[in-house]
Amino acid sequence: MTQILTDRRDVDFVLFEQMKVDKLSKHERFKIANKKTLKLIISEGRNLAINELFPAHVAGDREGCKFENGKVIAPESFRKPYKLFQEGGWVSLAEDIEWGGQGMPVAITYAANECFNAANCTFMMYPELTHGAGKLIEKFGTDKQKSLYLKNVFTGKWGGTMLLTEQEAGSDVGAISTSAVKNYDGTYSITGNKIFISSGEHDLTENIIHAVLARVEGAPAGTKGISLFLVPRIRVNDDGTLGEPNDVVCTGIEDKMGIHGNPSCSLSLGDKGNCKGTLLGKENKGLQAMFIMMNEARLTVGVQALGCATASYLHALNYARERRQGKSLMSGKDQNAPSIQIIGHPDVRRQLLTMKVYVEGIRSLIYYLGMCIDQMHVSDNEDEKAKYQGLVDLLTPVAKGYVTDKAFEVCNHGIQVFGGYGYIKDYPAEQLLRDCRITLIYEGTNGIQAIDFLGRKLGMNKGKLFYDLLGEIKKTITKAGQAAGLEGLAAGVEKAVEKLKKTAGILMKAAVSPKALNAFAFAHPFLEVTGDVIMSWMLLSRAVIADDRLKTKAGKKDIPFYEGQIKSVEFFVESILPVTSGKMDSILAMSASIVDIQDSSFGGK
Amino acid sequence: MEILVCIKMVPDTAENEIEPNSDGTDIERDDLVYSVNEWDNYAVEEAIQIRDNIGGSVTVVTAGDENSEEILRREMAMGADKGILLSDEAFLNSDGKGIATILRAEIEKGKYDLILTGAQADDGAAQVGGMLAAMLDIPYASLVSSIEIIDDTRIKVGREIEGGNREMNEIDLPCVLSIQTGINEPRYVGIRGIRKVASLDIPVHNASELNISPDTVGEAGSMVKKIDYFVPEPGEGAEILEGSNEEIIEKLVDLLKSNGGIK
Repeated sequence: MTQILTDRRDVDFVLFEQMKVDKLSKHERFKIANKKTLKLIISEGRNLAINELFPAHVAGDREGCKFENGKVIAPESFRKPYKLFQEGGWVSLAEDIEWGGQGMPVAITYAANECFNAANCTFMMYPELTHGAGKLIEKFGTDKQKSLYLKNVFTGKWGGTMLLTEQEAGSDVGAISTSAVKNYDGTYSITGNKIFISSGEHDLTENIIHAVLARVEGAPAGTKGISLFLVPRIRVNDDGTLGEPNDVVCTGIEDKMGIHGNPSCSLSLGDKGNCKGTLLGKENKGLQAMFIMMNEARLTVGVQALGCATASYLHALNYARERRQGKSLMSGKDQNAPSIQIIGHPDVRRQLLTMKVYVEGIRSLIYYLGMCIDQMHVSDNEDEKAKYQGLVDLLTPVAKGYVTDKAFEVCNHGIQVFGGYGYIKDYPAEQLLRDCRITLIYEGTNGIQAIDFLGRKLGMNKGKLFYDLLGEIKKTITKAGQAAGLEGLAAGVEKAVEKLKKTAGILMKAAVSPKALNAFAFAHPFLEVTGDVIMSWMLLSRAVIADDRLKTKAGKKDIPFYEGQIKSVEFFVESILPVTSGKMDSILAMSASIVDIQDSSFGGK
Repeated sequence: MEILVCIKMVPDTAENEIEPNSDGTDIERDDLVYSVNEWDNYAVEEAIQIRDNIGGSVTVVTAGDENSEEILRREMAMGADKGILLSDEAFLNSDGKGIATILRAEIEKGKYDLILTGAQADDGAAQVGGMLAAMLDIPYASLVSSIEIIDDTRIKVGREIEGGNREMNEIDLPCVLSIQTGINEPRYVGIRGIRKVASLDIPVHNASELNISPDTVGEAGSMVKKIDYFVPEPGEGAEILEGSNEEIIEKLVDLLKSNGGIK
């Protein structure tokens, strides 16, 4: 059977040859995570993904969610997969066993979740948001909050959400107006309206624990006066049993472009004056707390986008191998020349190779970040921990902003390879594009990611994080430079790295000068060129391993795989990095037109 | 009830393109991804359900190389209590009779009430179950599609018969049953199960521990030898239906009707 979700050979390659995830098993924390166990996890995850989650992808899209009398009914087709997913322990693969997690490395979680998302990214929003809420409780919860909620959330018995957005507080979360008043018993009465709450109300779980941002009476204005609260949909008694329903009412769900199987809810809190929550963490420190989780959620969005991209690529690839249309361009005027599979046409090959390099580069980046988090967990050296934390901090906007941009481009190519069939619902390409589109928006739009990257991450520790990253890239370039046949490719990546360094220096200075607006007008292009250079790094690192295997011990079936790795970086260096270089020129020119053009000059009125 | 399930590692047809090797004597086995034979998985599920209903234990056993340990661990993660690997260089390239000989030796070391095999393997000849029962001189039923436990000494089994018919049989224990797919819905393996078996040691029994003479198994003991393996040439009469999905479905229905496939 052809593979339609993730390429198993490539997943194994990144996990075990590029990232060497199984080496984590030498640490006590991951002692059972040996190669056999990790491979079994990937195999069984794929089983569940292909047999249960994937068939519910189209079904969930067509069914959608229903809103009836304040209740949201999740797609019928999601019920069995959710039960199996939850019972199988997949909700919190990397969390503490004591609290219902499975104690596995984050890197293997990303690999499993990539496959689940490739099968059905809409379905995955339920457990992934639940897991995110669990992380908040784990990190900031009191012993009582943990004992009441955490295990049921981490195991997915109960759902979890994040309630940030309000009508007037989207990207500017400091503008929220939901209020919290402290009660005599230490609880808080919450009042306000939240919108766009994914999984905010549904019937897949018996309870939902909302993490709510609100403002305590008298708190400072803006982001410094925001606190975080735990608000269960159904109150939980001290003995863990379910009590009275809380005053949290769903007032409607959105009609969206994609992710139809997951409800985006409007929630009214305390309409009857009876919505009670408990403070999570400290008063007025809610936003910092939420952002710790948000950074992780951003990586989750990257995994989601990767899932859409890999599925779109493999569907397109299989189609291109089967679909016969047109004759070879080389057959000239020969009317009797046979039709060929469309994979034989240069333009289709260009698109397939473009899809391949992004899917593979993104997969490597995402698993790499998982490994950074794991190594941070097992390291007993503070400097090393700081290094990995720095890499995660710096690369999070890339793994969210750049990755989702490129994943969407991959899905777009996916439709194009199918031609007219890509535009109709008989094939999955159009749904993957629709479902993927949200990843560029939620958990901080990609514009916000670009500002975060240029405005905060790039300058952290006087640019040390960024220069450390360039140092890591240089190590790979050095290795590649020593491998006969890869020297030219290594030089190509090195040239791009040098130019990126120069571009970053100039842009960082401009960002703190009177020309700051001009600099930020190019924040997104800068995030893009940085992402391109990181892709070339990841692809070069793959090629170094592939080259070594080809020269030493590649099995018969492995030869085309490894050769494909070298072709990927060759294509990226020769065909994409020159464009990246041109984009860097455009950033360096820092055209003032974007800022200078009058609002009225945009026309339209 | 003590239940033994005989399982086999086979190339995973969901993960591999299967093709003959260059000399045409076998499939190309370089870099294949393997998994547990599908029929065996149903047999293990059935065994787990019986154990969960009436008590006892489920042991999974396989004859193979050290990599076969992975499928034992997988079936233990699914819920089997014990695993045993039968492995020895002398076992390599055994035919069906050789495999049955190896399994019999292990079975005679223990005391099992019920022995299950898959009805066949993706790459097999559906022969081990029957041979094993004959060697053990105990009753055998093939293509079993339902099992009902009557008491400690007897069970009732349903069998699939050609044309969609079924028959019911009472069989004395101990016995060997070969299990058909569809008898149940095998459970998924979750992470909890995987964690539970991750660091368990699985015992390995070799030829001498099983008192097996090397010349009765493996290549030496094989009376059936595979001499050719190939993809048949496409025959005459194949027709590719073309058109939209609706048109193809309509043509297919017409064809099935005109050829007596459906009424």
